[in-house]
Amino acid sequence: MSGPHLSCRGLSKRYGATQALAEVDLDVERGSIHALVGENGAGKSTLGKIIAGVVQPDSGSMELSGRPVHFGSPRQALEAGVTIIAQELSLVPERSVLENVFLGIESSRGPWVLRQALRRRFTELTDSVGIYVDPTAIVGRLGVSDQQKVEILRALARKAELIVMDEPTARLSKSETHALAATMTALAGRGTTFVFVSHFLDEVRGLADTITIMRDSRVVRTAPSADETHDSLIVAMTGRPLDMTFPFKIPPAPDAPVVLDVSGLTSAGRFADVSFSVRKGEIVALAGLVGAGRSDVAHAIYGASSVDSGTMRINDAEYRPSSPRSGLRAGVALIPESRKDQGLILDRPVSDNVTLPYLRDVERFGLISVRAEDEVAEDRSARAGVKTSSVEANVRTLSGGNQQKVLFARTLMRQPVLLVADEPTRGVDVGAKRAIYDLIVDLAAQGMAVLVVSSELEEVLGLAHRVVVMHEGRVVASLDGFVATEESIMQAAFGLSGNGESSA
Amino acid sequence: MNKVGAYARNYGIVWAALLLFLLLAITTPAFLTVDNLRNIMDQQAVTLIVAVFATIVLISGGFDVSLSAVYILAPLVALRMMESNQSGWILMLVGTAVGVLCGLLNGFVVAKGRINAFIATLATSLIIFGLAYLVSGGSILRITNVDMRAIATTKILGITSATWIAVVCVVVAMILLERTRFGRYVFAVGGNRESARLAGVPVDRVVIWAFTLAGLSAGLAGSLNAARTLTAQASDDFGLVFTVIAAVVVGGTSIAGGSGAIWRTVVGVFFIALLGNGFNLNGIDPIVQRIVQGLVILAAVGADAWSRSQRE
Repeated sequence: MSGPHLSCRGLSKRYGATQALAEVDLDVERGSIHALVGENGAGKSTLGKIIAGVVQPDSGSMELSGRPVHFGSPRQALEAGVTIIAQELSLVPERSVLENVFLGIESSRGPWVLRQALRRRFTELTDSVGIYVDPTAIVGRLGVSDQQKVEILRALARKAELIVMDEPTARLSKSETHALAATMTALAGRGTTFVFVSHFLDEVRGLADTITIMRDSRVVRTAPSADETHDSLIVAMTGRPLDMTFPFKIPPAPDAPVVLDVSGLTSAGRFADVSFSVRKGEIVALAGLVGAGRSDVAHAIYGASSVDSGTMRINDAEYRPSSPRSGLRAGVALIPESRKDQGLILDRPVSDNVTLPYLRDVERFGLISVRAEDEVAEDRSARAGVKTSSVEANVRTLSGGNQQKVLFARTLMRQPVLLVADEPTRGVDVGAKRAIYDLIVDLAAQGMAVLVVSSELEEVLGLAHRVVVMHEGRVVASLDGFVATEESIMQAAFGLSGNGESSA
Repeated sequence: MNKVGAYARNYGIVWAALLLFLLLAITTPAFLTVDNLRNIMDQQAVTLIVAVFATIVLISGGFDVSLSAVYILAPLVALRMMESNQSGWILMLVGTAVGVLCGLLNGFVVAKGRINAFIATLATSLIIFGLAYLVSGGSILRITNVDMRAIATTKILGITSATWIAVVCVVVAMILLERTRFGRYVFAVGGNRESARLAGVPVDRVVIWAFTLAGLSAGLAGSLNAARTLTAQASDDFGLVFTVIAAVVVGGTSIAGGSGAIWRTVVGVFFIALLGNGFNLNGIDPIVQRIVQGLVILAAVGADAWSRSQRE
């Protein structure tokens, strides 16, 4: 046994007034899968970037296989066999897998690329590592998980021995996650070392050999994965005991009126014959695999996309939204799946983002009253639990959890009758998750009808009074949220159980 | 995040303009005179009128190269319509209306046709330039009623009416952008179109309005210029749009959309004007002036790109 593959001592990094990393020691064994976990802002991404030379530490040292190293750039790190696969992939989407894998290290004679030689190298590479992707496929047309394989191949083609992966599974479905895990395990068996940063604690425990937990820019502890439990990780990450992940479920009154009634809703190629209803005070979860059409249904209900046939009723009145504006007018609010791409205007203040759909409410004599706007934005932000120095701060400067809460603050501007929340806790840390769950439960208790689209089964089971499961664009089951299990939902989601078992 | 860098990006242009002003005041005797400063303001009126509304288009994520063409077409149409009985008010009114129509055309093409704004307005520029030749028959149209100059040159409180019109335009654009729903929507659409749409912003309408206002300003500015010079002539001159975009960008409004401000454009216009004035008073070759202007624009756009990369 030689020493560790990577050894860091006393790494510190400061960004302006923020201490991102403080005196961090880390040892990573060769051929291991080493996870870094922690809440947003705990410093795990910074550590990953320092290891791969993307960011330079202010102080501290690193040794690679016992030799001291200083990486001034990602290129220098790569020359030493260390690379990073970022959350946002860096492939050239219009070009083939083959070209992407060997980009910049093509076999060539003069200016000419030798395609035959490249093919041969590709086959050798894939055979030696056991990852198979069609070399002629255009990268942009591949799924995210295949694109990640291409990224890994690209790293290996450059003789990388230590690969840092930043949130590799954030955009993957469950089955894709399993495939990636299998690839990583197999490569680790052949001596490749992985350092991976992740939010998904169950996945981390299943995949990693060793887990380093970080909190407030420091390492809390490093321990074998087998020694940790879901709860022990959460307690160490948040620094406080978390007795319950989910708030207590309060069922809606038995005679609560139906707020949203969807019947036979169809949009060609996306979903067909979707029928369900949501009652006042009820939380209904729309579950299913990625691509089952859940977000499409959510958008159709909000008026953000059109439908071909079917009817919708809100509070027993016919409802045919032609645009998000008409949805808003009818009292429907949407929290979209991607807060950065669909929800927020990142370079505008918190206040602007909160009031955007309801600016009329803060107008005085046809002009926006900045004071009225700030007052209402402060009030709603406080109610949604947004932590910000001021509502004048740009949303970009907030953490992921706080950004998500800004979208909740927006829905609180007026009390909507129906809230549609698409993946409301995606990419937020554990503490913020609980706060968002509390908000959702609270809104329902106040009489809002809530439709939650979620890919996290835990969340679906923890929140929903009723679970509507979709499979390939159709509703395949409607389960009682108090008795549904992971198994019953997954069976339906994979299209295994023919009809709904029970309707609540 | 680099604080010094962020500050330089936010207020650098103000310091640069002040510094330039002081430098000229100290080194160039003819600079700090009432006449010279009044002249600078008067000369920049036309640019300023167009630039503040072009700023709104840029913040909304659009781009309008057809403003030059509109600026040229508007007075020609107006002068054609009133062959004998020339009136300054009709010139301004018709010229502005022509601008509105051209702006509406641009807005519709960009919003509904989903065509890249730069290419779309380049195409409409050719159309509008062509119309200008058709309307004028290729000849210079002269204003025979010399009284019409008054609309641009009347002095009120020692400042020309053209300058006053520009001041009104600046104030109107500021209020529109900072204090109305339309202004907020402009920032939202330019910052993130899909987020704006899902927040209920009528994206197409906002884009059409932004282009319409810009067209209006170009029509107004073109008519004002014709009244001042007593002539109007068809040409393919893109000069105005270059000056305008240069001023907007030097002021610090991002060409990527989503951020910027009217005061920035005002500072940008005067920065470039001071630069030119300083060169002229010191008898520096106009060719050198061009080269320096080009470098200044590169520096401004470079600063914008650099600060964007820092933020990621």
